[in-house]
Amino acid sequence: MTTFRHQLVSPLQLAALAGAGMILLPLGYVTAQALSADPAVWSRLWTTRIPELLFNTVSLAASVAVITLALGVSTAWLITRVEFPGRRLWEGSLVLPLAMPTYVLAYVYSYLLGFGGPVEYLWQLVAGPQSRIFSPHSYWGATLVMALDTFPFVYLLSRSALLSMNVSFEEVARVSGVSRSSTFWRVTLPLMRPSIAAGVALVILYVVSDFGAVSMLRYQTLTYAVFQQMTGRSDNTAASILSLLLVVLALIFLITERWFRQRSRFYQTGGRYRSPERRRYGWFGTSIVTGYLGLIVSAAFALPALLLIQWSVSPEAQATLDSRFFGFFWNSGTLAACAATGGVLIGLPIAYLANRRPTLLNLGCLQAAYAGYVLPGPVAALAVLVLFTKLAPVFYGSVVILIVAYVIHFLPAGLQSLEPALQHMSPNLEEAARTLGLGMRDTWRRVTLPLVRNGFILAWVLMFLQTMKELPATLLLRPVGFDTLAIRVWMEASEEYYQLAAPSALLIVLLSLPALALLVSKDWRAA
Amino acid sequence: MPFVRSLSGLSHRTILSGFLLLFAAGLGFWSFVPSALAADPLTIYSGRSERLIKPVLDSFTANTGISVELLSSGTTELVNRLKAEGDRTPADLLITNDAGSLELARMAGLLYPLNMQEVEQAIPTQFRASDNAWIGLSGRFWVVVYNRTMVQPNQVKSLLDLADPKWKNKIAIPNSGSEYLQAGVSIIRATHGDEKTRQFLQGIKINADSQVYQKSSQIVDAVAKGQVALGIVNHYYVYRHLAVQPDAPIAVLIPDQQEGGMGAIMNVAGIGVVKSSKHLDSAKQLVEFLVAQAGQKLFADLDKEYPLRQDVKADPALVERNSFRAATIPLSKLAELREPTLVLIEQVGLR
Amino acid sequence: MQRKDHDPVTSEHSTARTPSQGSAFQGNLFTPASPILELRHVSCAYDAGRPAIQEISFAAREGEILCLLGPSGCGKTTVLRAIAGFEPVRSGQIFLSGQLVSSPDVMTPTENRRVGMVFQEYALFPHLRVQDNIAFGLHNLPRSERFERVQEMLRLTGLKGFERRYPHELSGGQQQRVALARALAQNPVVLLLDEPFSNLDPDMAGRMRQEVHDLLRRTKTTTVLVTHDHDEAFAVADRVAVLNQGRLEQFDTPEMMYHMPATPFVADFVGQADFIPGTVSRGMVHTEIGEFPDTLQCFDGAAVVVMIRPDDIHLVPTEGARSRVLTRQFRGSENLYTIQLPSGQIVHSSESSTSVYKEGTAVELRVSATHTVVFLNDQLTTPLSSPDGI
Repeated sequence: MTTFRHQLVSPLQLAALAGAGMILLPLGYVTAQALSADPAVWSRLWTTRIPELLFNTVSLAASVAVITLALGVSTAWLITRVEFPGRRLWEGSLVLPLAMPTYVLAYVYSYLLGFGGPVEYLWQLVAGPQSRIFSPHSYWGATLVMALDTFPFVYLLSRSALLSMNVSFEEVARVSGVSRSSTFWRVTLPLMRPSIAAGVALVILYVVSDFGAVSMLRYQTLTYAVFQQMTGRSDNTAASILSLLLVVLALIFLITERWFRQRSRFYQTGGRYRSPERRRYGWFGTSIVTGYLGLIVSAAFALPALLLIQWSVSPEAQATLDSRFFGFFWNSGTLAACAATGGVLIGLPIAYLANRRPTLLNLGCLQAAYAGYVLPGPVAALAVLVLFTKLAPVFYGSVVILIVAYVIHFLPAGLQSLEPALQHMSPNLEEAARTLGLGMRDTWRRVTLPLVRNGFILAWVLMFLQTMKELPATLLLRPVGFDTLAIRVWMEASEEYYQLAAPSALLIVLLSLPALALLVSKDWRAA
Repeated sequence: MPFVRSLSGLSHRTILSGFLLLFAAGLGFWSFVPSALAADPLTIYSGRSERLIKPVLDSFTANTGISVELLSSGTTELVNRLKAEGDRTPADLLITNDAGSLELARMAGLLYPLNMQEVEQAIPTQFRASDNAWIGLSGRFWVVVYNRTMVQPNQVKSLLDLADPKWKNKIAIPNSGSEYLQAGVSIIRATHGDEKTRQFLQGIKINADSQVYQKSSQIVDAVAKGQVALGIVNHYYVYRHLAVQPDAPIAVLIPDQQEGGMGAIMNVAGIGVVKSSKHLDSAKQLVEFLVAQAGQKLFADLDKEYPLRQDVKADPALVERNSFRAATIPLSKLAELREPTLVLIEQVGLR
Repeated sequence: MQRKDHDPVTSEHSTARTPSQGSAFQGNLFTPASPILELRHVSCAYDAGRPAIQEISFAAREGEILCLLGPSGCGKTTVLRAIAGFEPVRSGQIFLSGQLVSSPDVMTPTENRRVGMVFQEYALFPHLRVQDNIAFGLHNLPRSERFERVQEMLRLTGLKGFERRYPHELSGGQQQRVALARALAQNPVVLLLDEPFSNLDPDMAGRMRQEVHDLLRRTKTTTVLVTHDHDEAFAVADRVAVLNQGRLEQFDTPEMMYHMPATPFVADFVGQADFIPGTVSRGMVHTEIGEFPDTLQCFDGAAVVVMIRPDDIHLVPTEGARSRVLTRQFRGSENLYTIQLPSGQIVHSSESSTSVYKEGTAVELRVSATHTVVFLNDQLTTPLSSPDGI
């Protein structure tokens, strides 16, 4: 029998620490750079850019939050509390907008709402010539695009809240003589509050860190400004300062979201579950509901998708489908595969240790890995760029630096699939293997890995597709000759060559659909 | 999850080792991608948009058999990148849309001074660096594009007129990150001083409001559609637009030609050979190709720019070069003017 | 791995006694050979301030079935996990087959301890078939031997025909058999069972209990079983260790445990008990329901309690008697009566299921205890809140 003293540092622990370090180090460097900047730069930014950028960012987030709240809650309520023909179809199609990268939706809308575009044409038929609608390249344009793209977050969370809510609460209200509508306002909505808040916080986080739509619509937010500072200035000081602000802002919303999510768990427990009664609507109600949902789904997904298809089959677009195009496709694919694999390999030890041995150190590593959430694409790019130029300039301009940025940025998405897989698996299974004479390594190989495999694959697919869609970090860090589909969409669409951008955009949307199905199927069953 | 289920047929070990293999192979292969690629083709960092430069480079490849790898991005971003990459850079040449950026790269010691007769014969000295570390290839002017149905050409004499409140919501301008806007503002500063420049910038900021574009082609488009009346762009975007849509109601107005005026703001797109290039011969060959008559003609015909070689004619559609006056600030001064210009732009809060 | 592999079913040179149900009572009168499992003053703690278990000592002889009994949170599972090597010990030692495996300085990894374990939720590997689950720990055996061993375990546990099923395709009882077969397949030195029957419905639990007991006897497997159910402990165990708040209260045969509990806690935990206060005088304890020998040899006037079990109290309905029937609980094989004595003291009595007395009936009490258990009054502390004293 071999005996040993308590092992202090296992290889697994080292791997987790290295992973967490890889993520925290760049963030630390950016922070250090921002904080050590000349106070003159700070005060210059405070007097010039920062107030406007903060105002733009926060006001965009606020208006998007309000609209997504209305859209998300109303659609979720209709889907869960009303029975009408085609309900199941709508239930699924309301999440489709999540498959549209923001920059794709933004570019479609800059055509639709643009000067002399189809919507303006229709509007002038109604309101007379010379009448204008709002420009897509404005606060309202950015609000519309972001809201259409992100309301499914609120929809999904509200939907599961409504489905898992104990109907007895509502019934008690009805028994106490409260009307149907005031039951909704006085009982249902307050009970949904934590879920809605979590959904809205998620939306805000998404808006604050979005680059694609705001760059396409030329709406100045902090994230966009970081990108502009990085590409327009010869040093990164100002970009670091703006990044730090952005990280702090995102952190606030992330913590809010976490806090509400925990509360929503608390709200939803207790009582036996019974599925809610759905009210049947007649033909009149049905047509109103169908019209409403149809409007939302077509604005957020169907219409843009059709336009992309139409543009893709145009002769101009067909002419771009040459070997170069497939080169972009291949670049996207291999980059995404590397990033996803790297992410899973780095995420697994971190998630494992935090779940099995929740020491302060291991939990700290896990939290560090979630830091990617508050690092919008340009900031992640800036962070690795600064770090690599200081520590390992060899990799500058190579794929490695890009992959590191992807891993940092998308590890949270991967961890969210890995963690439940590990939590789902009873630690007893590993202990059983140990009592059956297997060492740690064999236990991992024969028990842990096979059992987390599905979570593992899910994490991989999600990170793969997120990477495939990624824009700002790719723009900033791509090596020579490494354009991806997303880059092509951005480059063509930002010069308003709509047709030329369409095939790449369509391909990204199509590839996102299966990932969306994977992502949603978790939520679907959980509810 | 049909996808996951279909994968579950594979043994986990196969999948895991597959992942590991893929990852290792990917990293191993790509971590040295720059040097691997640099082995054969010329690598060019280009701040000019791919659409404008790629046809010229394709023609070079067709003529010489030397293939070209192109990285198109922002000019400043590429100069930053060259600085960061140092000797390890895969780049052989840097092409930009702005002489100031080239001069900054030269001052940072990134460029290799060329000693080539062909260059010295072809390009006048005012369009080259003092040591020939960069060479101008084509000239462009910052002009006002206007919609003929909305504006009379005599309504605008100078760029500074665009700051007039009567053009509120009627002008479109490039974003502050664009190097030719920075160069233009530098020349206005050098001519009129900071205070007047500040007023000008504040005026166009208010007048343009949200009409701030990333690409000049979008500005021309907006003017053509009548979305705005006027725009500030590099001249060739207008002619490129007209070449495709001859009926577009737009025209070029060359500003600041009045008595004692500043003169039109000129800039050049240029090229420099990167100091650490390992393909000096091929790189020189490209420079030679671009300054030769044939190369200069490509810039004139495809891009509607003014060729810098005296013996090559500009596109006949363009305003005759001799008919107007250019600003007198030397291009190489753009480098030292840059930083205070950026501070001013930021203070005004231009987007 | 020094212990030679041998099959416990066929090996006849094993020195283990095979105690019959009846001989267990006297079993502890014999001095055993060296124990298979021994704990000496073992303490474990998750955090230093609150030890989970303290100073636990006991030993198991080869082939013996030990039971750790106690309420939830008493530390019994911690003991099991310490034996398995999942919990480090803060002080004390654990020996397996005479080898030190756990001490503050020594920690033999679980996989080198040769312990088998059946978890409360069975922990069957969901990605493996029954046969692969059973064969899981046999990776060192050649293929043919492994097959033989699996077949043998399938036969022993009555799982023939299920070998190609997946765990989720089995009933609870079948899953448990697989877990048992998997643990026994590798000839463990000690088999550890953690609340093995708690996930089965009561009927199934009863049958499985019998089956497992028979199987363990046949394979002469030294076993430590954790449970909170005293019926289960009594039915299966040769000896029982009662734990309370991390401490060992008593370690003895089930019969001794029931009739001669060492502490009021044990008395109460292993069955219904009433504690009648009394006073010592001239070697006898005088109580409201009679006089009992003072087994504690207290001084005169000492305040003590006498423990009485319901089956030691017999009711005789008598006009004018001062004790009253408060309630009756019909339990099928018996009637459990709650009686209020004139002083207000509550006692319980177990009568045959056919003796039915109305509530309020005046009764005389006949106490027929073969032995008396007396505790000092101050031993009677909080854990005796006796929740079923209705």
